[in-house]
Amino acid sequence: MNALVILFAAFSLVAVHLFRAPAGGKRTAAIAAFVIGLLITAAGVRMGASAAGLGFTTGFDRVVNSAAASAEAAGDNPLIVFTGASYSRNAVDDLRLTERLQAAGYPHTVINLSLEAASLPEREINLLAFLNRIDRTPDLVFVEVAKTFDDRPAQFFNNSKFSARGIEQFNGRTSVWTLLGLVDGGCGGFTDCGKSIALTSAHFGLNALNVGLVARGENPKEAYDMSAYDPAFEPRDIVLEHDRLAGLRAGPDFVPSHGPKWVSSLRGLLERRLESDGVREVGYYLPPVIDANARAYLDGLCLGEFAGDPCLAPSDPRLLAALEGEVWYDDSHLLAGGADIYTDWLADQLITSGVLGAPRGRVFADEGVPAP
Amino acid sequence: MIFTEPVFLLFFAAVFGVYWLSHKPERRLQTLFAASIVFYGWWDWRFLGLIGLVILVSWIAALRAAPLAPGSPGRRVWLIGAITIHLGVLATFKYFGFFADSAAATLTTMGLEPSWPVLSLLLPVGISFYVFQAISYIVDTARGQLTPERQIERVALYIAFFPQLVAGPIVRAARFFPQMDREKVLSKALIWSGARAFLIGFAYKAGIADNLAPLVDPVYSSGDLSAWSNSALIGATIAFSGQIYFDFAGYSLMAIGIARLFGYHIPKNFDYPYASLSITEFWRRWHISLSSWLRDYLYIPLGGNRIGEVKTYRNLMTTMVLGGLWHGAAWTFVAWGAFQGAGLCVHRALFGKSGQRIGWFIALILTQGFVLMSWAVFRAESFGDALSVWHAFTGLRAGGADMLPWFVWGVPALIALDAVMGLHGRKLKTLAPVLQKPVVYWGGLGATAGLLLALYPLEAAPFVYFQF
Repeated sequence: MNALVILFAAFSLVAVHLFRAPAGGKRTAAIAAFVIGLLITAAGVRMGASAAGLGFTTGFDRVVNSAAASAEAAGDNPLIVFTGASYSRNAVDDLRLTERLQAAGYPHTVINLSLEAASLPEREINLLAFLNRIDRTPDLVFVEVAKTFDDRPAQFFNNSKFSARGIEQFNGRTSVWTLLGLVDGGCGGFTDCGKSIALTSAHFGLNALNVGLVARGENPKEAYDMSAYDPAFEPRDIVLEHDRLAGLRAGPDFVPSHGPKWVSSLRGLLERRLESDGVREVGYYLPPVIDANARAYLDGLCLGEFAGDPCLAPSDPRLLAALEGEVWYDDSHLLAGGADIYTDWLADQLITSGVLGAPRGRVFADEGVPAP
Repeated sequence: MIFTEPVFLLFFAAVFGVYWLSHKPERRLQTLFAASIVFYGWWDWRFLGLIGLVILVSWIAALRAAPLAPGSPGRRVWLIGAITIHLGVLATFKYFGFFADSAAATLTTMGLEPSWPVLSLLLPVGISFYVFQAISYIVDTARGQLTPERQIERVALYIAFFPQLVAGPIVRAARFFPQMDREKVLSKALIWSGARAFLIGFAYKAGIADNLAPLVDPVYSSGDLSAWSNSALIGATIAFSGQIYFDFAGYSLMAIGIARLFGYHIPKNFDYPYASLSITEFWRRWHISLSSWLRDYLYIPLGGNRIGEVKTYRNLMTTMVLGGLWHGAAWTFVAWGAFQGAGLCVHRALFGKSGQRIGWFIALILTQGFVLMSWAVFRAESFGDALSVWHAFTGLRAGGADMLPWFVWGVPALIALDAVMGLHGRKLKTLAPVLQKPVVYWGGLGATAGLLLALYPLEAAPFVYFQF
């Protein structure tokens, strides 16, 4: 509980006791006065909460706190940030990847900045919050690209509605991008579409009016850390071997393509912003999934929308062959054993692609002894 | 479905629309009855049968008893039988486990090893309230204050009227039934008096009580108060005194406001009890509908204060101990009731008859100090916990006097502000005519809405009194 609660409660008590019968006057003037009073207060509350450092603490804040601590521990090492959703939470072992790169002579520190069900606008908010916290610029940023999130801008509502995280993320910018995505073919049927638009608008309203902000607000920087990499050790769904092998061995044709307009534009804006802030390269990736079409989606984008950018599509037959065993949490997420395989493959790709630049000599010998 | 949740507001809007669009009085009664069924079923549809049983028994007993001569054995059988069934329902669902556990503990201390089947029953929400209303209906008809209803729907609506179904105020049958037949007009005055009561209740509940809960629950629900510092115990108890008042008074005001929006008048349940200068006055201002129910249906039938001084004290203690037990099936509630009864007896012995007074400030401190200490017993999960709190307040507990949390001063300040505004707000409005200008009025209402939204907790906490 913060002091603002008592202060606001005191104001509210005085006010509700004062309102008795409504005064006369024109209805339109009354409505206008009510709305203006509401909006001015909302703006004042936002400014006050902001000055007091209040916000809803969400899982992403915990991930950002953990990532900021890792960045600080990295010293002057160049940073590589992976920002994604649950695919990446289960698959990108940032500590292992850092070790692999450093063993190969690259001084980079890898930071996983992912959270389940995170859309691109939400990831953008938290990526920028992270950059603001560390007060330096990563060398590389890799943005996860999944067909599910490109096709369904309101995918978040399948996981959660009216939660602190939901309200926190649907500020004006996120809401506009989500609505643009819905208009740009991101709706399901008529009912789904209406539901998504209504939910987006409702969350925006709750955000704009600071619902619960003073009651439950706290300083997100004080929240406990939570590592983004979240290894799973037991499968959630059993994927039949036949289905697994069929999916992993399939290689559908693909052509150079672009994502839906809304998300391509948002990715373009984010890329330009990051590069103007000093990020050397922005790349794209997707951890492996069993659905061949979902993999092929990124293959197509790598040749089209992301031509010229580092693009790590998980279509390498050697990677997919290594993942044919019991390494799947479900059909879209890896168990810890699969994450090890993928992370090692990712290290190889980063090294062989040349995106890291030249190695600076081996930092650690194979046995972990610092090299001369 | 809690009054402060969006789903309730949608439910209310739908019922309000259907109700006022119906022009026939019977249709309106049916609308309210159907809404009450949906509202109660929303909590747990399995208990609809139980409330149905209470309604049915009340309806039949009152009808059957009415033609029989007053005082005749047949009439007594109907009335006592119906009240026994009602109290049996309450005893089974609310107190069975408590009495069984207490009996087992007693037998165990005597060296016996009792073994009987455990009956785990869910406590139906609001059971204590609707059973008391049903008893009120039976007794009021028996006393001739009310003609028994031929139509069961009307009895059902009285017992299950959704605004006050789950946590009161307990409405007397003789006061409610005539309102069903009164012509109702949706006037501006009706809307605004209802909306105002609801708004104040909403501010109490969502703006204050729900924000005090996180200061109370982690301490009192931890299961072991010995681990907490003195300042934490003092802080949590002071916060609880605010939480329970704003929660329950808030619920009652919202219930009053909602009922008023349907054209029903429910009497007030709280009258700024923390401004009381004696424990007797406190009970005239706190949970008024329960204390007056206990007075009229228990204390006075026991003889009240007309049968000698000693028996008056006995009646006071009996009434308050049973009133304590009504709040919950635990010995701490019984002790709380006994504590209150003892306070009433002492006050009566010292000041009640002589009319002597002490300075108002000393009286306020003594009364509210007593009430605060009693809340420790009310909220604690064991006597040991309550004792820890008392020791913390009196300095008898190890650990010394550490820094008190700042809200220890904030909560009493809010309570005092509420009392001052409630009792003198009308004068302030007259003093500040600018508040009556339409633009200022509506702008201020919008600003208040902005404040309340920022105070609104994302997850509405259940009302404290739902468990009773």
